[in-house]
Amino acid sequence: MAYKYSRTFLLRKLHQLTGIVPLGLFFFAHMFTNSKAVAGEASFEKAVQDIHDIPYLLFIEIFGIFLPLMFHSVYGVIISAEAKPNVITYGYGRNWFYFLQRATGIFLFVFIFFHVLNLRFGLIPGLNMTPVAGNADLAYDIVAAEFSIPWVLVLYILGIAATAWHLAYGFWLFAVDWGIVIGERAQKYALYGCVALAAGLFVVGTNAAVAFIRPCGLLPEILCEQPGHNKSAVPKKV
Amino acid sequence: MSTNGHIEKKRLENPPKSFKLKIQRRANENAPAVWETFELPYRRNLNVISALMDVRKDPVTVEGKQTTPPVWDMSCLEQVCGICTMVIDGRVRQSCSALIDDLLLASGSDTISLQPMSKFPNVRDLKVDRSKMFDHLKQVHAWIELDGSYDLGPGPHISNEVAQERYAYSRCMTCGCCLEACPQYGDDNYIGPQAIAQARLFNMHPTGKTNIDERLSGLMGDEGITNCGNAQNCVEVCPMSIPLPKAIYETNRDITVNALFGWLSK
Repeated sequence: MAYKYSRTFLLRKLHQLTGIVPLGLFFFAHMFTNSKAVAGEASFEKAVQDIHDIPYLLFIEIFGIFLPLMFHSVYGVIISAEAKPNVITYGYGRNWFYFLQRATGIFLFVFIFFHVLNLRFGLIPGLNMTPVAGNADLAYDIVAAEFSIPWVLVLYILGIAATAWHLAYGFWLFAVDWGIVIGERAQKYALYGCVALAAGLFVVGTNAAVAFIRPCGLLPEILCEQPGHNKSAVPKKV
Repeated sequence: MSTNGHIEKKRLENPPKSFKLKIQRRANENAPAVWETFELPYRRNLNVISALMDVRKDPVTVEGKQTTPPVWDMSCLEQVCGICTMVIDGRVRQSCSALIDDLLLASGSDTISLQPMSKFPNVRDLKVDRSKMFDHLKQVHAWIELDGSYDLGPGPHISNEVAQERYAYSRCMTCGCCLEACPQYGDDNYIGPQAIAQARLFNMHPTGKTNIDERLSGLMGDEGITNCGNAQNCVEVCPMSIPLPKAIYETNRDITVNALFGWLSK
């Protein structure tokens, strides 16, 4: 017998998949690039330049990031609208996680919109007006100027926290929704792993953000090699 | 709830002379909900049903207003039929096994609130129409085909392990607790854990397995299994301690293997 795939079934499966494969992978790459700032300005700007040099970058941006992100976020808001949260009556841990996944999702919908306009395009009036895209040699200074505004830094750290949790718990949700993790004990250990991953991503992401206003981020400076502010290390765009 | 071993009964040390039942009432399915409060003399070993029976004998509210006797469903009175399920002090459970002493101890107040389940069409007062759950059982083909034009012979052997796991799912009494507590269930957009667990029960049976396609198809609709949000309230409120999330995730694996990736083996 052939299976009949309903629209909702396919959209949900696609929603679960887009959260992990393009978006989850992208977030790891993003945190890796950000963490280059811990080693200083030159290291970060070289990393940004390396991204600029990826072949077919525009297609990767559109099909690997922009479209999956649009689908995941818009459909995520539709899913969230169906929820009838009852955490006050039934305050169990997993029920709170259910609520948090939707709350962080809606916060990230707004935050990522702001973040992309703010740094990728430089289009938020009153804040940075220079796009990082196409200006790899200015990337560090643009971000450093933004993060020296306290509320912007706090907003970004909140964004990192929300993304770290949403993604890490998303791995757990994917594992149960695709029948990879099934039993109670397996669920528990998988959840421990995801909580550890969320904490790790948050610490790495926050440290990278702080590295733009304080050398070596939150770590003692002795742990970081300081190549100094040597802009000539970055290949200039032609 | 422990199913083995003795459960120590908790008793009120200094029981009150009386306590109150606050009941959410509706004259019929379309009538607006109104609250009525009744004061009852306290007796030892009262449960919610016997308290409701006391109200029924003389339905006069605390304001002294004569009213109609409240309507509710009940049958077995030992938490195996599921029909007396209602929302007691905000939480869904069976009213037969809800002891007044426990409720007063837990809330620390002298009032117990009773509401009908909110996710089912209301009939009157505390009585709801649960027929949707039985429609869902039909939708997921929750039975085994046994009829043939000839004697099919004895059924296949089932290992003790499988039999035990199936037994857990077979304890479902279609009470509706899991659906009431589920933040995804409602407005017909999710079939809910009850039907999924029953589909799993029959998919685990060697003879029932022959109809796995029908069951999975019944779960892949617009209101199907993918609408599960993994809040897992179902297993927390299930009076029969059925491992409902496990049933859902086992079925998710069946769907991933058969329905989603099955074409790769064609």
